[in-house]
Amino acid sequence: MRSWKQRLVPYWLLGPGLLWLLFFFVVPMYFMGELALYSGSLTSGGFEFTWAWSNFPDALSGHTEQVVRSFFYAGTATVLCLLIGYPLAYAIAFRAGRYKTLLLFAVIAPFFTTYLIRTIAWKTILSDDSPVVSVLQTLSLTPEGGRVLATSGAVIAGLTYNFLPFMILPLYANLERLDMRLIEAAKDLYSSSRSAFLKVTLPLTMPGIVAGVLLTFIPAFGDYVNAQLLGGTGQAMIGNVIQSLYLNQRNYPEAAALSFLMMALILAIVIVYIRFAGTEAFMGDEDEEGA
Amino acid sequence: MLSSARSDRRATAILAVLIAAVTLALGLAACGGGAGGGNGGETTVAEGGKAEGELVFSNWPGYIDPGKNGTIAEFEDKTGIKVDYIEDINSNDSFFGKLQPQLEQGQSGGRSLFVVADYMAEQMHDLGYLQEIEKDDLPTVFENILPSLKSPEFDPERKFSVPWQGGMTGIWVDTSKAPEIKSVNDLFDPKYKGKVTMLDELRETPALVMLAEGVDPAKASADEWLAAIDKIKSAADSGQIRRFTGNDYTEDLTAGNIVAAIGWSGDASLIENPNAEWRMPTEGCVRWSENMVIPVGAPNTAAAIAFMNFVYRPEVAADITEWVEYISPVDGVKPILEKNGSELAESEIVFPSDEFTRNCTGQNTPPELDQVNEAWQNVLTG
Amino acid sequence: MSAPARAWAWVRRNALLIYAGLAVAYMLIPIAVIAVFSFGATPKDKLTFGLDNGFTTEYWRTMFSKPELNEALITSLRLALFATLIATAIGTAMAIALVRHRFRGKRLANLLIVIPMATPEVVIGASLLSMFIYYSFALGFTTLLIAHVMFSISFVVVVVRSRLIGFDRNIEEAAADLGAGPLTTFRTVTLPLLAPGVVSAALLAFALSIDDFVISNFNSGTTVTFPLYVYGVSLRGIPVQVNAIATLLFLLAVIAVGLVLFQQRRAEKMAAVQPEEEPGGPIPLPGTAAAQ
Repeated sequence: MRSWKQRLVPYWLLGPGLLWLLFFFVVPMYFMGELALYSGSLTSGGFEFTWAWSNFPDALSGHTEQVVRSFFYAGTATVLCLLIGYPLAYAIAFRAGRYKTLLLFAVIAPFFTTYLIRTIAWKTILSDDSPVVSVLQTLSLTPEGGRVLATSGAVIAGLTYNFLPFMILPLYANLERLDMRLIEAAKDLYSSSRSAFLKVTLPLTMPGIVAGVLLTFIPAFGDYVNAQLLGGTGQAMIGNVIQSLYLNQRNYPEAAALSFLMMALILAIVIVYIRFAGTEAFMGDEDEEGA
Repeated sequence: MLSSARSDRRATAILAVLIAAVTLALGLAACGGGAGGGNGGETTVAEGGKAEGELVFSNWPGYIDPGKNGTIAEFEDKTGIKVDYIEDINSNDSFFGKLQPQLEQGQSGGRSLFVVADYMAEQMHDLGYLQEIEKDDLPTVFENILPSLKSPEFDPERKFSVPWQGGMTGIWVDTSKAPEIKSVNDLFDPKYKGKVTMLDELRETPALVMLAEGVDPAKASADEWLAAIDKIKSAADSGQIRRFTGNDYTEDLTAGNIVAAIGWSGDASLIENPNAEWRMPTEGCVRWSENMVIPVGAPNTAAAIAFMNFVYRPEVAADITEWVEYISPVDGVKPILEKNGSELAESEIVFPSDEFTRNCTGQNTPPELDQVNEAWQNVLTG
Repeated sequence: MSAPARAWAWVRRNALLIYAGLAVAYMLIPIAVIAVFSFGATPKDKLTFGLDNGFTTEYWRTMFSKPELNEALITSLRLALFATLIATAIGTAMAIALVRHRFRGKRLANLLIVIPMATPEVVIGASLLSMFIYYSFALGFTTLLIAHVMFSISFVVVVVRSRLIGFDRNIEEAAADLGAGPLTTFRTVTLPLLAPGVVSAALLAFALSIDDFVISNFNSGTTVTFPLYVYGVSLRGIPVQVNAIATLLFLLAVIAVGLVLFQQRRAEKMAAVQPEEEPGGPIPLPGTAAAQ
């Protein structure tokens, strides 16, 4: 039987975090939610609370193209991050030996240089006349007009590059605790290492994959800087729209409404994804299972 | 297992209601504290008087001559006022966005002085976020201000804005690739498809397109603005326009990604392309300036006013212009630079003659701003 | 076997390492470009990523000559350090509670963790600002810290949790059987085994904080962080010193870890010869030094 002291432990553990999120996220979000129901404009007499539920459908109907585009860009970037990041995380976890931490640092070190500088560097590498682009041109890999910048490809490449650490770090955290003997046993059982991977390693590392996918897709969906600096006309994502609504049009109600819609959409996608990947992989309700 | 699932759901519900109640309580306490509105037409007048103490001054980066011999240091020496010079403005809109909640409450975040574009000064003034300054408190300013800047449309008596530096928006051309581009209409020529960029500013790009069509942006109707915006939209959709930029068109010019861009006259130092040159469009440019303004809640208006007078002394203004290379609002700077042997004195970009800018227009705000701005933003985020 | 066949066999055997090596190279390409261009002279000492003006070490020599840049850098490092410590502590605790314990409202807590990640940065930044203003909270380092911790918590929880899931409880039970109290078990068994997850989460939180722009822009008052400085000066030209500093930071991070490794090697050499450790096993007994 658990003592009352034991039953309080989870609350002590959760407490600081929940309180922090409550005061510094939930409350401001409440203000935002209230704002979504305002109408009016800054220049013509200010905003008023008018239960303006129409803000929600209005916000969405004007921008469905950007929503779909964001889903496509973020989704593609996430898949690419997984393809690039999983082998790298695997290699760091099992083949790097003493150099593990060093490699992990190398993975996030680009972040020290600030996003703007990294992106300018990429723009230099991918500029229309650069040798890299010339090679791509001869391989017929350039999308339109023979250029890489100011295309969807550039935005997706930027998203992939900037969110790789978000995929690699949770993957690594999960992979690292994998017991190699299980892998060896699997290799003994199955004739090819591919089956061993698919039937044993992959399912065991599902929690890491789920975490990585979430940490990559969710923020990528709402990103705006990549589209702004690397994209051209016709690559704007929903993040750019919200940015524009808030800062350039000062249409705070529509910005707030669109933000909430976006958050709801992402939550829906997350819930569906977790159903698909298995709830244990996400929540790990081990205590409910009783081992 | 069943009972624990049910009690878990019940507990979730209770917790959700609790959280909602707390936030509702906190939120209701804040009800009515929404955005916008202004303070009902009552404008504060900035107090003059003895200038002392500390001055917090927000400005755009690279907009003043820096260092131990710079203007700020000189000002501190001569007046004993300590200046906290912060370069935290890099976009009118985002600066407004981050200051608006404070200005709405009558606070300025400690700043007594900052520099924003004409239209932003106008907008802030209309919302009651700026203080007005007595003409008598600004003797040096009114003595030396360029006649063309004395009475702009948005502030005919210069009650709340004092020009800082100005510039022109025109066309940057890569003369090795497209030497024949002279008009904004040339940018729509299909042979430059995908090699042209335009600025993302509402009051500059559509205005230039209107000028090229023979429409006067200062007098244009909302429909004429929307027509210009439509024309730009078609060009964007077809891929004629590569992208809309802030000042990062300079990167594209340096890298050779584009042959022409709508851009600002003073950006030469950012473009490492010997063939790039700024051209005055044949139909005219957009001539703009940025202004020093005193916000509501400014802690030290006397010091701010003293600074405004200080930088309107021709010697001081000459120092600033020599470094910044934009257009000075102060009369008498050109002879000083000539005496110093500076080649800037000959530059038409830094000292444009009236003849040079005869077709230029200012930064005009379109009628029915919300609707026109929304149409423009939809083109940018299309 | 012929030479090309042997080469191909070698590639297939080491495919993983080659692939990983390419991935690391990909991540470091821009750093290389940044480093190279920190040595390129420019007419007005502004970054242009053009190489026409020749080679110079001036920007490295004058790297710390700009007080605003130095101040912004120090502010960012301090901010990231504190935010990481706080967020990692809070987040790890939450992850443990969420995975290990039975309690009411778990689903709601899980939801609350995910939502901040889904919120666009403009909205988080602006709404926090409005709240701070409303409650007359002075803007500056503290508000920045609050904001940075807030958006990092979710990321920390998700990373630590993914490591905790499926964690073998037998080890901890074994420790309990041997007489260790819950706190001792936590300290000597759980925490060391959690360490890679916690370290990964901390690295992620640090990266998030040091690179944040939008939320910081809204909530910084007149404080300037490194990204704010860079975005700010990019309008009139980024001083080339920024490139030099960025490269230096990268090198420092790598060198610091390298030094730690070097220390470890020396310590190992001085101690008795250790048997070769396989990654991931054998499962260490609780209480021994090998519980790593």
